[in-house]
Amino acid sequence: MTESFTTLTTDVLVIGAGGAGMRAAIEAATTGARVDVVCKSLLGKAHTVMAEGGIAAALGNVDPEDNWQVHFQDTMRGGQMINNWRMAQLHAQESPDRVYELETYGALFDRTPDGRIMQRPFGAHTYRRLCHVGDRTGLEMIRTLQDRVVALGIDVHMEWTLTRLLKEQDRVVGAVGYNRVDGSFVVFRAKAVILATGGWGRIFKVTSNSWEGTGDGVGMGFEAGAEVLDPEMVQFHPTGMVWPPGVRGILVTEAVRGEGGYLKNSEGKRFMLEYDPKKKELSSRDVVARSIYKEVQAGRGTPHGGAWLDVTHLGAEKIKKKLPSMYEQFLRLADIDITSAPMEVAPTIHYAMGGLRVEAETGQTTLAGLFAAGEVAAGLHGSNRLGGNSLSDLLVFGRRAGAAAASYQRDVGLGKLDDEQIVEEQQTLLRPLTGDGNENPYLLQQALQQAMQEGAGIARDEKGLKQSLEAVLELQQRAARIHVPGSRRYNPGWHTARDLRFMLTIAECIVRAAIERRESRGAHWRLDYLEKDPKLGKVNFIAYNDQGTVKLKQRPVPEMPAELARLFGEEPTKTTPPEKTSKQPPAKRVPA
Amino acid sequence: MSTQIEEGSTTAAPAASTNGTIVLQVFRGDQTGGREERFEVPAQEGMVVLDAVHYIQAHYANDLACRWNCKAAKCGSCSAEINGRPRLMCKTRVDEFVNEEIHVAPMRTFPLIKDLVTDVSWNYQVNKRIPPFRPPENHPVPYRMQQEDVERLYEYRKCIECFLCQDVCHILRDHDEKSLYFGPRYMVRMAALEMHPLDTRHRTGLLHGAAGVGMCNITKCCQEVCPEHIKITDNAIIPLKERVASDYYDPVAKLIRRVRPKREPEGTDDTSASGDGAPEGVGTTRPPQRFAVKDVVRLKSGDKPFARIGSVRQDGKLEVWVLKMRGTQQHWKGPKVINTGDVTNNYGPLDEVGIGSKLFEQQLMEHEEHAD
Repeated sequence: MTESFTTLTTDVLVIGAGGAGMRAAIEAATTGARVDVVCKSLLGKAHTVMAEGGIAAALGNVDPEDNWQVHFQDTMRGGQMINNWRMAQLHAQESPDRVYELETYGALFDRTPDGRIMQRPFGAHTYRRLCHVGDRTGLEMIRTLQDRVVALGIDVHMEWTLTRLLKEQDRVVGAVGYNRVDGSFVVFRAKAVILATGGWGRIFKVTSNSWEGTGDGVGMGFEAGAEVLDPEMVQFHPTGMVWPPGVRGILVTEAVRGEGGYLKNSEGKRFMLEYDPKKKELSSRDVVARSIYKEVQAGRGTPHGGAWLDVTHLGAEKIKKKLPSMYEQFLRLADIDITSAPMEVAPTIHYAMGGLRVEAETGQTTLAGLFAAGEVAAGLHGSNRLGGNSLSDLLVFGRRAGAAAASYQRDVGLGKLDDEQIVEEQQTLLRPLTGDGNENPYLLQQALQQAMQEGAGIARDEKGLKQSLEAVLELQQRAARIHVPGSRRYNPGWHTARDLRFMLTIAECIVRAAIERRESRGAHWRLDYLEKDPKLGKVNFIAYNDQGTVKLKQRPVPEMPAELARLFGEEPTKTTPPEKTSKQPPAKRVPA
Repeated sequence: MSTQIEEGSTTAAPAASTNGTIVLQVFRGDQTGGREERFEVPAQEGMVVLDAVHYIQAHYANDLACRWNCKAAKCGSCSAEINGRPRLMCKTRVDEFVNEEIHVAPMRTFPLIKDLVTDVSWNYQVNKRIPPFRPPENHPVPYRMQQEDVERLYEYRKCIECFLCQDVCHILRDHDEKSLYFGPRYMVRMAALEMHPLDTRHRTGLLHGAAGVGMCNITKCCQEVCPEHIKITDNAIIPLKERVASDYYDPVAKLIRRVRPKREPEGTDDTSASGDGAPEGVGTTRPPQRFAVKDVVRLKSGDKPFARIGSVRQDGKLEVWVLKMRGTQQHWKGPKVINTGDVTNNYGPLDEVGIGSKLFEQQLMEHEEHAD
């Protein structure tokens, strides 16, 4: 039985309308290709709006010593050297132009006294580097890109979800999914597909991610046969809200520390002075998150198991000017006036460094016709992403993927759609509505989040990871028996049922790779293997689909050419991150 | 610091309820009809309405439709009408409602899709009609702009497109004049574009015409509901009305704008003589004004009230009726005699500007003779 569906034909199909998706669409459209953008929410609501701190780009406006080489080194060191060096290089080289380009689209950033773009310090960036607008940089970026997309007349299909890539042999030739509003099925026939679906933070319980962060792109790519790189690398942002319970996990921007905020334990001590005397509160995210965790473990946590983040010494005027949305957020949601009282914060799942493996120059995945950019792609950030590198990632690699997809589609014709694949996906989608199962999709999702938070969270060990794996495998079985009441018309329960399948697949990839990486590196912290293993520092883990099961393999980290390797002097292994080579001029910081 | 929180928790049941539960009446239905359904949700400290709706979704009604994304008042997805007031569900604490049930309904101005979800696509269609940012050709990149010039736009750029202002705007809501007025959100967007230091377009034609800035009669409902606290009427709509007024009703200013590049009149500060605070849209370089009966003007005094000219006297003074607001009710008080120098801006004839289209419903003195 085939359900009816609408078929649309296009040159470049972009799935996802956050920063990366829109930047890709803009690039592809300006080459003259026909571009269709599909997004799960309304346009302009993507998770990019939650990025607050800024866009990292070595403009050197505030610290003239800054340049792409330093940014490149910071990124590689932050990622503990398992990054794709070529991506890190392109990213550092091109992000300044991408930022300036945004201004030509109408974006506005805070200015220096001489009228250039202002830059603020951020964790583990040697120089003041983050271009920002108060603490709502992501909103500025998404609105700017949205306006550009509209100005170019690009077709955007809002509230559509695509759930399966359609293939003709090894090439991706389209995708199938549904319209969330009326539940009708839609099929795209496209010469090239760009995935820009963001991350998978929703797999965990305490997360800064919106409901959309269910890893659709990685899930779809994985099912279609693309490789998933570094899945075990999941970033904890050190500062999420902790109290009241309803807001747990909501992001407290790193800009709070960038502007000079202190982290204190229950004894009022600035503990980061001990964990990283040099970079203090502005150490890399993995280090700060672990430090907070350790303080809590040692019994020096706040009443709800976190740390105090204090900006009261900055003065009310500066706080309201530089951190307006944080001020509002705490006042409204937690009854706390941050100009006179500290914020209570604890680590929250924030970002997936892992994702689909892509070619650095083009964003092409391991499948022909399939490109990926932004959080859904992996490689740039290695084992830990620096704050601000995400927004620049979206711009740099969004543009590259858009350009590459546009040029790819010029040389190929439309592929042939296989009805069997479409019918199969329709049946998968319909099962929760028509089947006789009895599982509740929301409660299964909560169970998954709980299992992952407990066993695969900030502090991992073999035992916990194996428990998580067991839980995930069991939930996969139960997910086959999900039942949702109601019709296909705007039915979030039904939507959750499909999202959950992606989440369960990715959860399995995360846990399996986390078990195999028997060392501590970046965001991956193993209590049973506290040291870095130089051998594992030379490999990335790859999860791939072997006839429906998750398999793992190792792949050597791409080797840097000598002239770049030289920037690092002695390879910084076995030493703690704060160590800096003497080549670099000392960091200039704003007075803390 | 936790003292503020404890206050709420001592009563154990923050909202309308007993035994630590909250009672919600949630609208359920679609275009064929619907009604409120009653749900009881366990209370939790600091809970917001969206939390309660999520609880209902997970435990009682898996298919309850609602939009949401960030849950931190940054994306503007979860707009709804809570106890009759347009608000974001993620920003509305349940402990605000002591001893009353919480009624959650979809936005009324837009067609219903299902439950709490409405079809807001009209807004996106309107947005497409606004000419985008256009910088000067061959302007050197990177741009140089001054902090104070960009900062002026931050208020507009804060908009999260929750469409609550569109929902509450009575032109769109009660009169359903969606073909005549773009609505507050797009006045904010146009204000941001018009005042961008490097934008080169003129949008007053559109504002005066299809966008219908004149439809707004300054009831300020939109800025009351804005979760980002944008002073939509004061800082976006009124300055746009002023621009339109000077382009369409003030022949001298119109000429100046034609002859000189757009940005000059307000960009140069050597002409700011009057010293009456921040420049408002058209700026401080006002040419001598002409007045006629029925013109709507703005007065310099105090909180800069609006007034309508009743008559222009032989000695050159004006007899005006001053606009007073009682909540959203307007009435005109007067007559009062003022000097022409007390006027900062002339918006032109009442009907054209649209200020107080309700005026005709009120008892006003009619003056037939035009003293000009």
